[in-house]
Amino acid sequence: MGCPCELKLEGEAAALERAAQAAQAEVERLDRKYSHYRNDSLIALLAACADAGGGMNVDEETAHLLDFSATLHAQSDGRFDIAAGALTKLWDLTSGRVPEAAAIRAALSRCGWQRVRWRRPHIHFSTPGMRLDLGGVVKEYAADRAAQACRDAGVAHGVVDLGGDLAVIGPHADGSPWLAGIKHPRDTARALATIELAAGGLATSGDYERALIVDGRRYSHILDPRSGYPMQSFASVSVLGDTCLVAGAAATLAMLFGVAEGRTWLENLGLPFLCVDAAGDAFGSLAR
Amino acid sequence: MRKPTLSPSLAALMGAAAALGAHAQSAPETDSVVGYRFNEYGEDSFDGAAIGSQERYKVYSQQFQLDTRLPTGAGLDVVATHEVMSGSSPWYVLPDAQRRPIQVLSGATIREHRSELRGAYTIDPGTASSTTVSASYSQERDYRAGSLGIERSLPLGNALTFGTGASLSHDIIQPTDAILYDRVRHEEKNTFSAFGSLAWVLDKSSVLQAGLQFNHAVGYLSDPYKLVSVGDAILPDTRPGTRTEAAALLRYRHAFAKPDAALHLDYRYAQDSWGVVSHTVDVGWYQHVGDSWQLIPALRYYSQQQARFYAPFFDPGQHDFFSSDYRLGTFGSFAASLNVRKRIARWELSAGVERYHASVDYALGGSDSAVPGVLSYTRGFVGLDYHFD
Repeated sequence: MGCPCELKLEGEAAALERAAQAAQAEVERLDRKYSHYRNDSLIALLAACADAGGGMNVDEETAHLLDFSATLHAQSDGRFDIAAGALTKLWDLTSGRVPEAAAIRAALSRCGWQRVRWRRPHIHFSTPGMRLDLGGVVKEYAADRAAQACRDAGVAHGVVDLGGDLAVIGPHADGSPWLAGIKHPRDTARALATIELAAGGLATSGDYERALIVDGRRYSHILDPRSGYPMQSFASVSVLGDTCLVAGAAATLAMLFGVAEGRTWLENLGLPFLCVDAAGDAFGSLAR
Repeated sequence: MRKPTLSPSLAALMGAAAALGAHAQSAPETDSVVGYRFNEYGEDSFDGAAIGSQERYKVYSQQFQLDTRLPTGAGLDVVATHEVMSGSSPWYVLPDAQRRPIQVLSGATIREHRSELRGAYTIDPGTASSTTVSASYSQERDYRAGSLGIERSLPLGNALTFGTGASLSHDIIQPTDAILYDRVRHEEKNTFSAFGSLAWVLDKSSVLQAGLQFNHAVGYLSDPYKLVSVGDAILPDTRPGTRTEAAALLRYRHAFAKPDAALHLDYRYAQDSWGVVSHTVDVGWYQHVGDSWQLIPALRYYSQQQARFYAPFFDPGQHDFFSSDYRLGTFGSFAASLNVRKRIARWELSAGVERYHASVDYALGGSDSAVPGVLSYTRGFVGLDYHFD
């Protein structure tokens, strides 16, 4: 997943060992399947299909992830887009300088979930040169899956921390909740808030490190797939949800709505949240 | 967990996530299928010089299949087949005055039934290191067969998979009208098979598989319903009591992102201790059309050289073994088929036709003896599958 994975488990030594192995195997499986395009996988074929234009049938798990991504696309009016990989790649490649407007227009013509025909189990890419990126949902999904793997292995108390996204296996053995600190986006050594977690998931979306500074202007890594340009948004958004997947989706969508619209959206959504704006001011139901 | 009020957005997110959560409980990959298939097979009328009933041989078969995952994550595949067969088949060959072959056909069978049940249990299905154990039992009035098999695949690295397997089958033959026609009463045969294969992932869209197969059969390997003309006598079909076959196969699969299709190319070479040598080439094109259609045109060419003890009829004298069964003669065949599949939500409709034409003239290297019984047929099927989680 390109991030540290930490497990905090309480229970019998044998069960803990089993759970840790199961959680690691599950995270590695998803990493192999979705993050790195291995030559021999179905996902490699999917990447080749997107690149060449064409279609294929996908497995059940991938189908569910595509359904979930399509829901996020609809809920964000097209701001969340797993088919915007061409744009992400362009901004990554030109790291250190802002891409030319013509290059952005060209990338935009190869982006967009609306150019993908998705009718389970068949996905069809009508435009060649597209890139599908499930990275925006897989990390949180992996945290939930790892937590479930631990429960299946007989561990009832613990928490999975996948690069700052948490999935609770269950509270401490004495029933007390886990304490999770939310880091300050501009000063990661400082905790902004401490949150009690007994169940569900906590996910944070932000632009801590990955930002491009050109001529004194800070370009966030949050791209608006509709304009093709980075957008100004929160420094970070943390959301508490029933699962890490839902919490992560809410945090990501709030980022994509931008500060003003995002705050209203989060308040209407109804999940506990904490936002930090560019000036470092924190607000939300979890702020204290 | 604090209970949030459920906004429409949250309901949408949680609804979509619930599908993933539900999925997470079950084993990943592939769903379950129940299916039904109806097949019709009909041989062409006999068009050479022949004596006897000319009623075409026909087979109607029905098949039920269940392919699912057990709660343990193991795969279970069960297939039940029932066939009804009728018609006449080649019996023996007589020479005419100019020593040209005249095929004698058996009287038409009224209606024979065959039932078969097959089951396969797979541990770690869909992975490179799966193990499958299988069993089957088949029964008809004059024939019973049971088999057991095991297959194992092992990854030897990222791009290389080793597969191996073995099976044993036991057949019991109790011909009908044995006393009337002086046929064998009760015979048995045992067959042992083993194979090994290597599959290479060549690149992200192609796979090459090479394999070796070995079959060894012992027991009664003759056909109790076939006779042979030896001089003035009509004797029962008589073949050796063992048959050992070795085969090599190559399979190539290439997926094309555009035009969303896959090419299947197979070749099989086989040689056995009876002297039969055969080549089989299969070419199939799996074409997706739109979201839910699949068209599969395929062609097959087959050629075999006859067994050492095959002849349409024999001169009088000492022969250890003799058979005029057309299936042991020299011939070649072409088969062309078109299968269509259409997915409608959870349903999948399929239909296909195959036309098979065999002739002595199609054999590689030609032939020096007649095979009057060689036949052609047409086969069709319709099927309906239902996919569920």
